[in-house]
Amino acid sequence: MYNFYSKIVVQPPCCTQKLLLIMKLTTLIMITVLMQVSASTVAQKVTLSEKDAPLTTVFNDIRNQTGYDFIVTRSVLDQAKTVTIDVKNAELPVVLEQIFSGQPFDYQLTERSVLVKLREPSLIGKLKTALGVPADINGNVTDSLGQPIAGASVNLKDTRFGAVTDNKGHFTITSVPQGRYQLLITYIGYSRLSTVIENTGQTLNLHYVLHPSTDQLDQVQVIAYGKSTQRFNVGSVSTVGAAEIAQQPVSNVLNALEGRVPGLNVTSTTGAPGSAVQLQIRGQNTLNTTNNTGLSPNPYDQPLLVIDGVPFAPQNQNVNQDYSIATALNVALGNPHSGISPINSINPADIESITVLKDADATSIYGTQGANGVILITTKKGKAGKTTLNLNVYTGYTQATSPVQMMNTLQYNAMRLGAFKNDGLTPSANASDPGFAPDLELFDPGKYTNWFNYFEGGEAKSTNADVSLSGGTAGDTYLISLGSNHSGYNFPGDYADNRLSLHTSFHHQSSDKRLNVEFGTDYAYDRNNNSNNGAVLEAITLPPDYPGLLDAQGNLVWSYKGFDLGSYAGSYNGVGNPLGYLKQTEDLKNYNLMTRLLVSYQLLKGLDISSNFGYSKFDNVESEAQPLLSQDPAQYPYAYAQFNSADYETVDIAPQLNFRKEILKGQLSVLLGGEYKRNISAQTNLTGSGYNNDALLGSIGAADNVYASNDYTLYKYSAIFGRVGYIWNSKYILNVSGRRDGSSNFGPGKQFGNFGSAAAGWIFSEEGLFKKYVPLVSYGKLSGSYGTSGGDGIAPYQYQQNWISNSNENYQGIRPYYATNLFNADYSWSLNKKLNLVLDLGFLKDRILFNATWYRDRDSKQLVLYNLPSQTGFSGVLQNFPATVQNRGWEFSLTTKNIEGKEFRWSSSFNISGNTNKLVAFPGLANSPYNRLYTIGQSVNVQYVWKNAGVNPTTGVFQFTSANGQPTYTPTYLTSTSQLNDEYVKEDPTPKFYGGFSNTFSYRAFSLTLIFQGAKQTGKNYLAGVYVNNPPGVYGVNEPVQLLNVWHKPGDQASLQAYTTNAASQAASTAAYDFANSSGVWGDASYLRLKTLSFSYTLPAALLKKTGFAGASIYVHAQNLFTITGYQVGDPETQTIFGIPVQKTIVAGLNLTL
Amino acid sequence: MKAIKYYNLLFYSLLALTASTWLSCKKLIQTPANATNQIGTAQVFADSADAEAAVVEMYVDFSDSGIGLQAAGLTVYPGLSADELKFTGGGTSFENECYTDAIPVNDGTNNGLWTTAYGYSAIYQANSCIQGITSSTGISLSEKNQLTGEAEFMRAFWYFYLVNLYGGVPLVTSTNYLANATLPSATVQIVYSQIISDLKDAQHRLGVNYPTAGRVRPNYYTATALLARVYLYQKDWQDAETAASVIINSGIYSLESNLDNVFLDGSNEAIWQVPFANPNQPYVDEGRVFVPPSASTIPKFVLTSFLLNAFETGDNRQSNWVNSNSVVTGGTAVTYYYPYKYKNGQAQEDYMLFRFAEQYLIRAEAEAALNDLPAAVADLNKIRNRAGLPGYSGAMSSPAVQAAILHERQIELFCELGSRWFDLKRTGAVNAVLGLEKPGIWPADGHAALYPVPLPQIQKNPQLTQNPGY
Repeated sequence: MYNFYSKIVVQPPCCTQKLLLIMKLTTLIMITVLMQVSASTVAQKVTLSEKDAPLTTVFNDIRNQTGYDFIVTRSVLDQAKTVTIDVKNAELPVVLEQIFSGQPFDYQLTERSVLVKLREPSLIGKLKTALGVPADINGNVTDSLGQPIAGASVNLKDTRFGAVTDNKGHFTITSVPQGRYQLLITYIGYSRLSTVIENTGQTLNLHYVLHPSTDQLDQVQVIAYGKSTQRFNVGSVSTVGAAEIAQQPVSNVLNALEGRVPGLNVTSTTGAPGSAVQLQIRGQNTLNTTNNTGLSPNPYDQPLLVIDGVPFAPQNQNVNQDYSIATALNVALGNPHSGISPINSINPADIESITVLKDADATSIYGTQGANGVILITTKKGKAGKTTLNLNVYTGYTQATSPVQMMNTLQYNAMRLGAFKNDGLTPSANASDPGFAPDLELFDPGKYTNWFNYFEGGEAKSTNADVSLSGGTAGDTYLISLGSNHSGYNFPGDYADNRLSLHTSFHHQSSDKRLNVEFGTDYAYDRNNNSNNGAVLEAITLPPDYPGLLDAQGNLVWSYKGFDLGSYAGSYNGVGNPLGYLKQTEDLKNYNLMTRLLVSYQLLKGLDISSNFGYSKFDNVESEAQPLLSQDPAQYPYAYAQFNSADYETVDIAPQLNFRKEILKGQLSVLLGGEYKRNISAQTNLTGSGYNNDALLGSIGAADNVYASNDYTLYKYSAIFGRVGYIWNSKYILNVSGRRDGSSNFGPGKQFGNFGSAAAGWIFSEEGLFKKYVPLVSYGKLSGSYGTSGGDGIAPYQYQQNWISNSNENYQGIRPYYATNLFNADYSWSLNKKLNLVLDLGFLKDRILFNATWYRDRDSKQLVLYNLPSQTGFSGVLQNFPATVQNRGWEFSLTTKNIEGKEFRWSSSFNISGNTNKLVAFPGLANSPYNRLYTIGQSVNVQYVWKNAGVNPTTGVFQFTSANGQPTYTPTYLTSTSQLNDEYVKEDPTPKFYGGFSNTFSYRAFSLTLIFQGAKQTGKNYLAGVYVNNPPGVYGVNEPVQLLNVWHKPGDQASLQAYTTNAASQAASTAAYDFANSSGVWGDASYLRLKTLSFSYTLPAALLKKTGFAGASIYVHAQNLFTITGYQVGDPETQTIFGIPVQKTIVAGLNLTL
Repeated sequence: MKAIKYYNLLFYSLLALTASTWLSCKKLIQTPANATNQIGTAQVFADSADAEAAVVEMYVDFSDSGIGLQAAGLTVYPGLSADELKFTGGGTSFENECYTDAIPVNDGTNNGLWTTAYGYSAIYQANSCIQGITSSTGISLSEKNQLTGEAEFMRAFWYFYLVNLYGGVPLVTSTNYLANATLPSATVQIVYSQIISDLKDAQHRLGVNYPTAGRVRPNYYTATALLARVYLYQKDWQDAETAASVIINSGIYSLESNLDNVFLDGSNEAIWQVPFANPNQPYVDEGRVFVPPSASTIPKFVLTSFLLNAFETGDNRQSNWVNSNSVVTGGTAVTYYYPYKYKNGQAQEDYMLFRFAEQYLIRAEAEAALNDLPAAVADLNKIRNRAGLPGYSGAMSSPAVQAAILHERQIELFCELGSRWFDLKRTGAVNAVLGLEKPGIWPADGHAALYPVPLPQIQKNPQLTQNPGY
């Protein structure tokens, strides 16, 4: 019925070319027709896996599977070559093409049989062979489904001959001299195909099928404005795929990156659902600008987040405008960078891959925005084929990982009485008496409540469901997926983070395959409701004999035996009843819209024009209410409500011109592009106060007074950029990129900057000598890059003085204006220079892959708020900082396939990174506001603290080492690092190294993955939280049981000082305060954590057939199961006892495919 | 084929379009001159209405900043440092640190006080207004005088409090941060010279009439009232006497016969009073801080026995300006006394920043120092009589008159903007008095008389030095 004419009949020479063309076209049309026919009729699917098998064996296999007979004579078969093939469910014609591509046969496919004949060289052909005339090599390349692969490189090894396949998968290498060649076909994401061909002077028509690569080196890596593979990439790029993400029951995908990526430090800020996760690639580039009071958080250099080519509008900033349990009140109590993460509005199940770009080669093309590295998130796309419905559901519980054991009543009262004794005071019921002690005088000593368990010891539910529908034809594919996630807080009350998400992706390819349109939209709704009063986290320090918080009717208790509980403040700030805090609601809603359109068109062979149009909009709507009933009626209850909204919007247009050509034994790729970006961020805040009725707190109209304010920033950015890449003979790689950026954040004349990078690589394992003598090493690459990028990450309009008006205030009808900033018209781009050297090695056919990277980043002309003393009117001014900060480090990773049996498989992956930060230069440091913070040659993260000299055995008060080495109660404050002496100790909270180790075992249908993650670091211990507020022994503040072990009587050799009521003994409270700034609150915070345990079982096919499912598996996933650490109290990652502890999660789930 | 041509045309034109747009990069990143919710300095000082908005910013924060240097902080903290108030709350707090006269150099609240005084609503704003108004072309001369005079007055006001809390401080009189960032502390004398010169200039510029309704923005007499106080603190008796006399003789002000009316809006005693400017905080902070919310609540701050004992029997100020709560805790009833000058009466009360009674006390003290004892006693008796106490009569020695005046100041001006604290210090009595009243607490070397320069300020400006003893 369908005939394949790959044989040339005798024709006048002049017509050969034309005829050939016709032939080719016919062939293609036929393939297409065949494809469509077979798609609509009973599929003649073939699954074969053979290595060097005799042709007859293959024929038998195919006959068994399809019923097709092979008609062939024995003599013909004598000339047959062995066959190596590996196809699954492939169409018969495709399989035949592959089988016959190396054979000296022609074949004819009829309705029920395949006729095989010896190929007869034509007369002209014979003549050509005899004369040694060069010939063209034609062919096409498809995947195992028969889809053409466009853009694949086809090379004759060690020659200048090569070509790139066009959109139809077709290639032509013209005028190739006769001879034997090694033909090499490479395409990203597919295994390299290497085969020997013989050019006998006759035009060859070849067909090759590429298979998705199982070699990690050939997996697709999404890079800046394109794709690559680890094999040919000369930048530092790491990728985490969907399968790895799916193993972790996390609602925020950033949590799934912990321990996965060398060079990327991921830190959970709290265990609250939806809370912020900090990211940092290769260390802090900019200086801290925190002031000494420690109330404003340091800037934390975070990478640029790009989702499907569109910069994510809110990036990774805290979107929680109000305070909440997830947002720390101040540095002392928790992580200053906490809050609600916008990334939590993205369903991890919709993510195909996350790529982390680290060095100049990878990031330079992002210019300004890439100085701190780039994280590219690619969402899932539809796959052609049968409509597939996938359902994934899991549910389980979360629980605090590191409960804090506080003192019981007996211990607490002993501590208090000890404090009274030490201070020479007597407990009294009179508030104007220094010995006033309601806890000892009034509270019931027989009562004991474990407040940690009361507030944070519970279990919370975590449930997730995802449904996706995917399918389509070759030219049109789609994916629609719905997700729903519920993560509860383990706090009393109905607090949770709930997310609903919709992800869509459509792809259309025109029938001539030149036009490609990709369109997708994501929408997510994430609601996080909790308390707006983070101080409730301090409730764990309530005295254990504190009266019950609820009366018999369930109302909040505010007074006890005539004592107004809210009237006398512990650290616990006049609260009275922390359950009141829990009635102060915070309702946060995030709406995340991401939509993008990618249009590309092949103008000429090898030349594509495309443009990405992206729009990302993130709306944050919050309301908080402080009802009257949540407050002590005796303390001026005051009802108010806040209604806040914040919109982040990014429009991004990035047109590009891509050119690819095989030139001189190599592949040249050229990218020319431009980018236009507009960011808007707008905030509106409405505060209503003076409500008479709690029920109306949802109404702004019911407020007596309304305070309104808004903020609006506009940022525009444009750039032109280019990148030239050349891979010569699969051995030598060269990449050069350049870019000119413009930013509206700079003043007139300062808006433009030029940046660029160059990178080179040498795949030495491709060298003949190396191959011959070191066969064990299957892959070896040395590469390096150097480049620059800049930064403009500042608020706009800071180059001029801005005045605003405050609607809160009104002076005789005049709304006052005030200046918001000092200004400096001269600042411009910061400059980041990155140097990167990489060695990649593969052993035993890439079963073992090793990567070692060394890098050095230097950031100069830093654009930061330069600290100024308050006498200037403000805390600082924005300027290009004269200092240079260096980050230098190593990253190692090792991926191994330890056992690859038929039934049992075991693979491992290990990575470790270490970074050293150093202040390289700082002209004028001695006379700058930074002279006590930094020393040239030291890390910028270093903090100089007093050296704790234990407790004086006689007085029981903390001592510190003085400048002359003697103990002192009153150490001197550091005002310049030139004063550094024995009195001070250097503490650096930067991890020395961190990494992860994961193992996956599979046996038949069972699979088990264990991921360990850890860091070697020092940090503040629980004593920092204990001493920063109040010395142990004061009223109303319970302490962890570890505080039982303090100085009690003269002669005691204790590490912690005597209790004090803080009322009389100034020496003790000053010393306690100083202790919080000493080496005594620092310690080892290293840990090794079983981050993930994932166990799954895939149901057998036989069982599934009966049920009609295409696939099904059940699994148990666990997160943060246990932690090995010397960190005493609390969690070594969040390093505070006043935050929601990191949560342990255990879920069970089911995955079904229809 | 046609379709392909169409695509080609489309894409080439798209290419041409984008190329031409990108070549004119500058246009792509053009943004408006200001953010939508902000204006530039030129616009602020373009006309008097806008400039006035910048000037009144210096007043609104008295009612919009919680217990800071503005609002109740000026009363509460020096009151605790001296012998007026005791904090009943527990835990570590700036309040307790003030009471125990042991403020750590790195205390955040102390740093906040310093920062507020120099900040955008105080000295910085004053300097900014003086500069902007001076160079403005859109404001009439009379308006320039009024607004500049107000800014100069406010600058003097803040330096007066800074120099009394901290001693010598950096004297910042411009907005040039490059120059200001490294200024060392000026001597107390130089700061006072600037205060006096600012106030004299303000006297020239400000009219005797208040610029708007009420006595809510400074006039000539307000500048004079601060000047009288400054002269008094400087022991420039003659000038103090003259300045106080100017006000006393102006005929505008009189003592309120009813003590309960003194701190009300529209009080005849007011030389300068500031109404609350924030509808969310419709009260004077001193009222809200001192007056407990209910009769069964322990007040946050209680009056010390020293102050309570200083009241003479029959003094109406004790009955009208002091109140108490009797609270039963654990079976025993305890009486707690608290300041009751402001009654938390909301709308009727204003922040009283300068009041007439002080001028009699200033003049009396100056007259006594100048040895005009009868005049001094006469002025003193005006205050006593208003409080329902008999006037002093008969011959009194000069030290007796001076002691009587200080005693009267302690009672009349108790818990009012640090008056007692400053009196103890300027008269050199602080060590003797507090050493006696706060044994074991008051440091013998008396270094606590000055608050420490906040450590972060010294760290950010290496030219600053710490006050002795810290």
